[in-house]
Amino acid sequence: MAQKIQILVDGRTVEAAPGAPLLELLQSRGCEIPTLCHHPDLAPAGSCRLCVVEIEARGKRRLVASCTAKVRDGMSVSTASEPVLAHRRRIAAMHLGRWPRVPVIQEIARRCGVVDASAYRGTMTDENPRACVLCTRCVRACEEFVQQRILDFAGRGARRHMTMAYGDVDPHCIGCTSCAYVCPTGAIQVVDDLNHPHDPVMIRDHGMKVNAEMARLDPQQCRMRQVGTANIIDVMDQYDLLPCHNFKFGSHPDAKKIYSAVFRDQYLTQGEDDGCWKGCSMACAKAAEDFELKTGPYAGRKVLVDGPEYENAGACANMGCFDPWFALEWNFYCDTYGVDTISFGTCMAFVMEAFEAGVITEAQTGGKKLRFGAMLETLECLHEMARGEGFGVDVGQGIRWLKEKWVREYGADPAFLQDIGMEVKGLEVSEYVAKESVAQQAGYSMAVKGPQHDEAWLIFMDMVNNQIPSFEDKAEALYYFPLWRTWFGLMGLCKLLWNDVVPVDNKTYPPQQAAKVPDHVRNYFKFFEGMTGIPLDDEKMLAQSARVHNLQRIMSYRCGRGTREHDLPPYRMMGPVTAEEYESRAERYDKQLREILGVDPAGKPVEEKIRLLRAHREAQYVRVLETAYERRGWTRNGVPRISRLKELGIDLPEITAIVRDAQD
Amino acid sequence: MLTINDRDRIEWRPGMTVRDVLDAMGYTYALITVTVDGELVEEDDYDHRAVPDGAALNVFHLAHGG
Repeated sequence: MAQKIQILVDGRTVEAAPGAPLLELLQSRGCEIPTLCHHPDLAPAGSCRLCVVEIEARGKRRLVASCTAKVRDGMSVSTASEPVLAHRRRIAAMHLGRWPRVPVIQEIARRCGVVDASAYRGTMTDENPRACVLCTRCVRACEEFVQQRILDFAGRGARRHMTMAYGDVDPHCIGCTSCAYVCPTGAIQVVDDLNHPHDPVMIRDHGMKVNAEMARLDPQQCRMRQVGTANIIDVMDQYDLLPCHNFKFGSHPDAKKIYSAVFRDQYLTQGEDDGCWKGCSMACAKAAEDFELKTGPYAGRKVLVDGPEYENAGACANMGCFDPWFALEWNFYCDTYGVDTISFGTCMAFVMEAFEAGVITEAQTGGKKLRFGAMLETLECLHEMARGEGFGVDVGQGIRWLKEKWVREYGADPAFLQDIGMEVKGLEVSEYVAKESVAQQAGYSMAVKGPQHDEAWLIFMDMVNNQIPSFEDKAEALYYFPLWRTWFGLMGLCKLLWNDVVPVDNKTYPPQQAAKVPDHVRNYFKFFEGMTGIPLDDEKMLAQSARVHNLQRIMSYRCGRGTREHDLPPYRMMGPVTAEEYESRAERYDKQLREILGVDPAGKPVEEKIRLLRAHREAQYVRVLETAYERRGWTRNGVPRISRLKELGIDLPEITAIVRDAQD
Repeated sequence: MLTINDRDRIEWRPGMTVRDVLDAMGYTYALITVTVDGELVEEDDYDHRAVPDGAALNVFHLAHGG
């Protein structure tokens, strides 16, 4: 954006950014500007004309609505010239004549110097103090906040009135109350008491803050309304975090073929009802309509395909299948068959690497050449899985099962398979490359339920921002964020409104706090309090989650998976396994050998460099693991201490009995 | 020389702006906060805010997604 310019406001020089909204500038300078249709959370409409100012530019003077006007170079603004005041008086008098008992109109009239309500009284006069004054705020809120058009105006002239379609209650209205929130007169009242919340106004007011942020900020931030979580594809590729070819690489020249804009421009249906929860102001779920399938039992049929979500597309990159058609076709069949896309994608990527490495051959795959990028063959595996026949059945068992079978039956090298098989606790790793973030490796591997996608938050904090440099910092992040995530699950609340849209002033917090988006955490606490009547803060929230999190860990322990050895990732998650991988990022790895380990990589064989780097990274991981265990109140073997259970009030005899023999 | 996030270093050149630093680092992310020697820089100023030699920049990426 260009540098600030100077304009004249009532004869005084004012600095402003060109293109900035004029009304906001004038209000920030303390100018007295009456408004009615304007609402700070809505796009300007310029319909009431009360905010007019006189602008002189290039020798011409004219009255303009300041809410829709933009700051321009050479502009001279008069906010209280006689033509301005006369215009406002006339408008205010007309409003007062028509709605003489509406408090907001009375206030505007007073500010404009109108005291006589009789001048414009007549047959149109409405004595209702809560009359609709046709300001359009409700209509705009419906469209801008929740992308609906439930409300609109009908009739012309004196008969113009706000209504739902055909004057009837529109069944599509989900009662989001956005219209009531922005109504300046009380013409729209919330009369419902669904679910009997303790304080519906508290819930509504904080929800509306989110709605307003979505409308104003999302287009410049994550574009969730445009493309949903698919926006992350582009980001991950550009930061070397997009898993390509079974997590070997973090980016790929062909990744642009599945960037979010490709789906947006060629496939996704925009502006339709959200498939997740109707009325959500983020509406990030996307769909492609009339998509013609090419394979499987529905080949030739036109269908509606949900997505792609980021992880769907990330899994495609992991399989080397950089084709938007494939992403949708594969996603449709995964959904139709009830197959998890992440598990299948990561498992298939493992199969492909094993095939290319000669661990398995066409003899085992039923003749399919399962190299990276083998799209039709991958789809055939999926169809086989659904039919319960062929090699697809094996793929459906997951990486852990395949490793064991291939070692047992084909004599495969167990160490190599352990290194490249991206699973922890039997669950396939979700689609982020964690090699350069030891905190993220621990976030994935320590997750009680396995390395799934809602634990993938620490990469930027650790790898890019370097904001959690010490082991204690990382352990603190590994304490707070998994518990915060657990809390969303406990409450049944979506996390996307936490940090997929961010208040403008979030950047004024120090980074450690900013990462938590404090204003949005407060929103969730208010939702909780508004519903239950129980005030919440960080400490109480963490305690609620920690009780469940520790019980989950104990259940995991009882099932034989809740100890240290089950929190160790395959080395592919931590660093380069193969020479090909090392060489692809040789500059980075060589630099680390020099600067961190003090080893001169010059002349050393790549295998030696891989070994040195691996020893360092594995040691780093163990330190993070142990520090995080300590922070969580767990033993060195990763089992919750009884003292911690007491602290949380969950030291029930049947619980402590499970872990008593596993204490330090 | 400029220091980014207390770790990465890039060569300084005369006239370098915040935008130049972001481009040099390949930082394309939408949700970032930039400080130059501890002072917050608004996004509107990235293109013309000069960065002095020896400055320490913090480019904070706010995680999202998942």
